[in-house]
Amino acid sequence: MDLGLYGIYLCLFLGLYFEVFLFISFFEKVPEKKTVRHPKRYPSVSMIVPCFNEEKTLAGTVESLLAMNYPKDKLEVLIVDDGSTDNTRNIGEALAKKHPHIQFFSKENGGKWTALNFGIPHSKGELIGCLDADSFVAKDALLEVVKKFEDSPKADAMVPVMKVLAPKNLLELMQSAEYTFGIFVKKTFDNLAAISVLPGPFSIYRKEVFSKIGLFKHAHNTEDMEMAFRMHANHLHIENAHTAVVYTKVPDTLRKLLKQRTRWSQGFLQNSGDYSHLYFNPKFGDFGVLVLPFGLALFLGALYSSGYLLYQILSTLVTKSYNIWTSGVVVWPTFSIEHLSWFYLNTSMLTFLIICVASMTLAAILIGRRVAGADFGIATLLSYFMLYGFIAPLWLARAAWGTLWSRETVWDSSHK
Amino acid sequence: MALQKYIIVFIITVAIFATAFYLATRLDARRLADIRATQESVSIDILSSETQFALLGNMDCQTISENPILSTELNSLAGRLSVAEENLGTTNPEVIRLKKQYSLLQIKDYILMQQVSQKCNLKPVFVLYFYSNEGNCSECGRAGDVLTYLRTQYPGLRVYSFDYNLDLSALRTLISLRGLNGQLPALVINNRPPVYGFKTFEEIQTLIPELKTLSTTSAATSSRQR
Repeated sequence: MDLGLYGIYLCLFLGLYFEVFLFISFFEKVPEKKTVRHPKRYPSVSMIVPCFNEEKTLAGTVESLLAMNYPKDKLEVLIVDDGSTDNTRNIGEALAKKHPHIQFFSKENGGKWTALNFGIPHSKGELIGCLDADSFVAKDALLEVVKKFEDSPKADAMVPVMKVLAPKNLLELMQSAEYTFGIFVKKTFDNLAAISVLPGPFSIYRKEVFSKIGLFKHAHNTEDMEMAFRMHANHLHIENAHTAVVYTKVPDTLRKLLKQRTRWSQGFLQNSGDYSHLYFNPKFGDFGVLVLPFGLALFLGALYSSGYLLYQILSTLVTKSYNIWTSGVVVWPTFSIEHLSWFYLNTSMLTFLIICVASMTLAAILIGRRVAGADFGIATLLSYFMLYGFIAPLWLARAAWGTLWSRETVWDSSHK
Repeated sequence: MALQKYIIVFIITVAIFATAFYLATRLDARRLADIRATQESVSIDILSSETQFALLGNMDCQTISENPILSTELNSLAGRLSVAEENLGTTNPEVIRLKKQYSLLQIKDYILMQQVSQKCNLKPVFVLYFYSNEGNCSECGRAGDVLTYLRTQYPGLRVYSFDYNLDLSALRTLISLRGLNGQLPALVINNRPPVYGFKTFEEIQTLIPELKTLSTTSAATSSRQR
């Protein structure tokens, strides 16, 4: 057998192990359905909206916050303009004038983490949340988060369920399926107490978290990931409010997507370096023993597998081209009715394992869809299974390259 | 964190791998059985033709010249064997055994066709192609491509392919009878002395003037240009 194939089997073993682990953990505590009950108490909440050149979406984001079913006297919104050069400032100021519980701040550009850190000391709420200015919350999102905090007094931070806002093109549809897969993964990580990121759209913290472990850091432009790592390092609890839904805009071009995902992936690698003491450390539970090591292993495994596939395709192409060039004949694969027989199907062990991994991924997406009541069709699934395997290695390779050469990624408004 | 769960998941993953291995092995075994059955059928057909030939002397020459014996079955068998080789590897003992059997069938068909040709006054073109897939024949792939192409252009051409390294006494006898010196790829055209090394389509056409007597497919002239 081709030696490189052993590496593929190892990657498949790790992938399958991880998926089996997720499925078992998910069914250990199946998520409860949404209830109509109200929280016993409505804590005061401060929502920080950091923005940089968000003139197109800022108003919609803030309106969605104001439209939430939550007592208005318990909610304050802090818009922090991180030195925008477009009309964001005027829009923010107008919103603050119109609504008494909106405050608008403007500061010099310094990155999203500085905008959040600017807003936190100005926040008066018991709970402090952030919402990227290209995301929109469901009406009952905050209510659901508050109920979950009430049910889990141990929880220090809460992450919502994220759905893609109005996906249209193939890339957006692909991401829609990916986010739905993420819903399953997040709920499973919740069961394992191992949520690995507090995303920009609608993650909500108890105020004490910041006094205990400090404010956001630059953290290689992935302050939301670093905050999760830091919380685990300090044994704080992150939970998932799977009934709280937030809709987010996703990159609609390959260039934007690659930029965003390279930043995320590189952030994972670099934060892993900063928090390497968490790896394989049982003191940090499944986060240290499963989530981090497998995250890294699957990152490397995906790179290896795609590299191997690329090598196989290229070497076959080169050999075939050379043969055609030197022999002067083109031999096309022949097809006859006989080739429809099962005999000619690829029934290798590798095929069965790939089918198994793909089926489990599909099942996870369908479970995620059920958990969050997401609605998508076959085109979404097809675009995910047809595109993801080819596109993801591009950002993984870029992230690995950037990490090796210590190149910092860039945060801007369109690539959260 | 429960260590027990990590162990259980490991066992389940190993079980999935074992199931995939079992399924693949079972289907490969069925494939080999399928090849064996086809070979038996071809073997019976050859034996039947030989017997018929021995009984009647010149058989029905018209039928034979219009429907070359077994060429379709042998080609199909070759395709199936190559699938088995890809799945199980060229060193798999069962694959080697089937390849030996296939080589024997080819030799038998070759001998029978020569006899039939003599008796029926036919002028077929026989090409014996010797290759190796042990990595010591860099030109065998290209040579195979040219022969495959040649066969698509001249359906009446009878090409018999032999793995030179196969440990089969009948094949060794054929090799020594045809005077091969171990250089590969090698072609033996209509019992003439062997021709060694890679030959282009044009070179082979020159080497086999008899090709002009064979009918060609309509695509032969149009797709020939590089």
